[in-house]
Amino acid sequence: MSDINRTPETFDQNARAALADPVLHIALRNLADSFVVRRRNAIASVDDWEGLRERARAIKENTMLHLDEHLERFTENAEKAGATVHWALDGNEACEIIVELVRAKNARMVVKAKSMTGEEIHLNEALEKCGIEPVETDLGEWIIQLAGETPSHIVVPAIHKTKKQIADLFVEKVGIEKTENVDVLTQTARKILRERFAQAQVGISGVNFAIAETGTILILENEGNIRLTTSLTKTHIAVMGIEKVIPKFADLDVFLKLLPRSGTGQRLTAYQSLITGTKKDANDIGPDELHIVMLDNRRSRMLAHPVTRQSLACIRCGACLNACPVYQQVGGHAYGSVYPGPIGAVITPQLFGLSKSKQLPYASSLCGACRDVCPVKIDIPELLLHLRAEIVDGSATGPNERPTRKLGESIAFRAYSRMWSRSGMYSFSMRVARTMQTFVARDGKIGKVGSLISRLVPPLGAWTAWRDAPVVASKSFREMWRDKEK
Amino acid sequence: MPFDASRHEPLNPPEPSSALSGDSIVVLDAFMESLELVGAKCDIVESEYEAADRLVAIVKDLSATKIAISDSELVRRIVKVAGIEAIEDASREELFSSEIGITSAQSAIAETGTLVLESGAERHRLVSLVPPVHICVLPARSIRGSMAEILELADTDAHRTITFITGASRTSDIELTLAIGVHGPGKLYVIVIKDQ
Repeated sequence: MSDINRTPETFDQNARAALADPVLHIALRNLADSFVVRRRNAIASVDDWEGLRERARAIKENTMLHLDEHLERFTENAEKAGATVHWALDGNEACEIIVELVRAKNARMVVKAKSMTGEEIHLNEALEKCGIEPVETDLGEWIIQLAGETPSHIVVPAIHKTKKQIADLFVEKVGIEKTENVDVLTQTARKILRERFAQAQVGISGVNFAIAETGTILILENEGNIRLTTSLTKTHIAVMGIEKVIPKFADLDVFLKLLPRSGTGQRLTAYQSLITGTKKDANDIGPDELHIVMLDNRRSRMLAHPVTRQSLACIRCGACLNACPVYQQVGGHAYGSVYPGPIGAVITPQLFGLSKSKQLPYASSLCGACRDVCPVKIDIPELLLHLRAEIVDGSATGPNERPTRKLGESIAFRAYSRMWSRSGMYSFSMRVARTMQTFVARDGKIGKVGSLISRLVPPLGAWTAWRDAPVVASKSFREMWRDKEK
Repeated sequence: MPFDASRHEPLNPPEPSSALSGDSIVVLDAFMESLELVGAKCDIVESEYEAADRLVAIVKDLSATKIAISDSELVRRIVKVAGIEAIEDASREELFSSEIGITSAQSAIAETGTLVLESGAERHRLVSLVPPVHICVLPARSIRGSMAEILELADTDAHRTITFITGASRTSDIELTLAIGVHGPGKLYVIVIKDQ
């Protein structure tokens, strides 16, 4: 499947195409077994997982209430230690700042460590447009860069590709003999990317946490490419969303327990780099310059409402993707956004505009699996419903767009509501339904997709367009109870 | 929210550090166990002489000839005792062709099997990263129980880069299959010296 034309607006089509793609299903088959089981085992090694989640959420919630102060403090401390902090209102500004920084170093190539924020602002495109070659160094990111695709998962970007596809890709792009041996493929990537690391003058990374108290940025990884990116280069550019800031150094304990366990089922990822400004002694190892690019990109708008504010607590672990029955079936590309899965369905509309991603809040059965696994207890179903309400009210769409709820639907729902809030009317309607349904029910279901009844009764039609309504039982529970009493 | 996080203390209050006695035996065992869980090899030795013997054995095992070391005094001494030829302050090119990198660590975390490397104390950022094998020698008394203790002690002004290392470099990017040694070392050996 190519990425072209897949947008959040076409989720429905994308999902159907994904469901019909047998290769994608082979690629995704390990997701539930592997990540979900690993996560479950890893959280068992913590005494009070629920308590940790509560604490993490409380820290994030408190931080968001005073975000301006924490950002100021972080900036002050980071700059005191030699870093330069840049502010970007949106993706374009962030890209401009970064391109300028790279140009100032006369670099024609940059090594990049995986950053979802970098994906969000389409940094690679911006660099390429200015004649700068971005080299992704995370194995998964490198694979999808070779393939000319976008990531389909926050943590494992190439999860949508099978071993066989990757083997073919290596034959085509790298020119090695075909092999599906994962170790050989990995070592091939190591060798090629080592050469790029040896030449690189500028490195670009993301940030997992930024600590206000010390001005430190923390980046987690397993491969070592982030360490290479931030140790071998002369200039390190770190791009982060403003929500990544946390107040205290000691808070890291909570997040370092939660993030690896939730993301990959590890107690701790292989490496954490805690970087505070620039090196003290010019002879020390490491970059001479550290630039931190702070990105708003509509995040400050999410702060305004207590429901949407939750979105900013996300630590990008990917657990909700792995747990989601929708994501497990359709994969990440169907969401048409750099942020897929349940969290993507709530972040994408808020970052890029609800009117451009109206289908995403509906890309969920509201089963709540995402909420259950979220390490920072984001109530994703609540957020989805909030966004759905905004779509229906038309409040979140542009001023020129009309409300999307149809008049007929409104009247029908009001009538149903009036009728069913009185028990006599409810019983009567059920008796009527029981009689009527004999004409329309098939295989124990009413109003199969496309049937006459689904077109005749307006709300039922909308309901059964995507699901089956079960037939009304021949006797209600109350009637059965009465019969028993007799 | 149920409570104000800023008023709460870290979950694991730091325990007083101690030399090897009582609690520290437990900590040492936990450290070794955690290292095994992440696939690292850990040896506990009684003295620097024993550490040197162990080092010779590992180098011989890997039949390595090109070895880079950090500027740690401890590492210098042990390499000298072992009679191993090693390059200190290796250039980038030398590092890229080295087979083993030997460093110390400023502390370690027992609960996760994590090495803590502080940039202000030792030039080990590249030696511990670039060669395919990393050997870390550290005194037992520097091992702490929990992450919370390490965070409590961290001095981010003195050490502008603090690196936590837990096991070898790894990835699951291809069909979630584990592969070791992507960009960093594929093998991690830890030698803990008791008498320090």
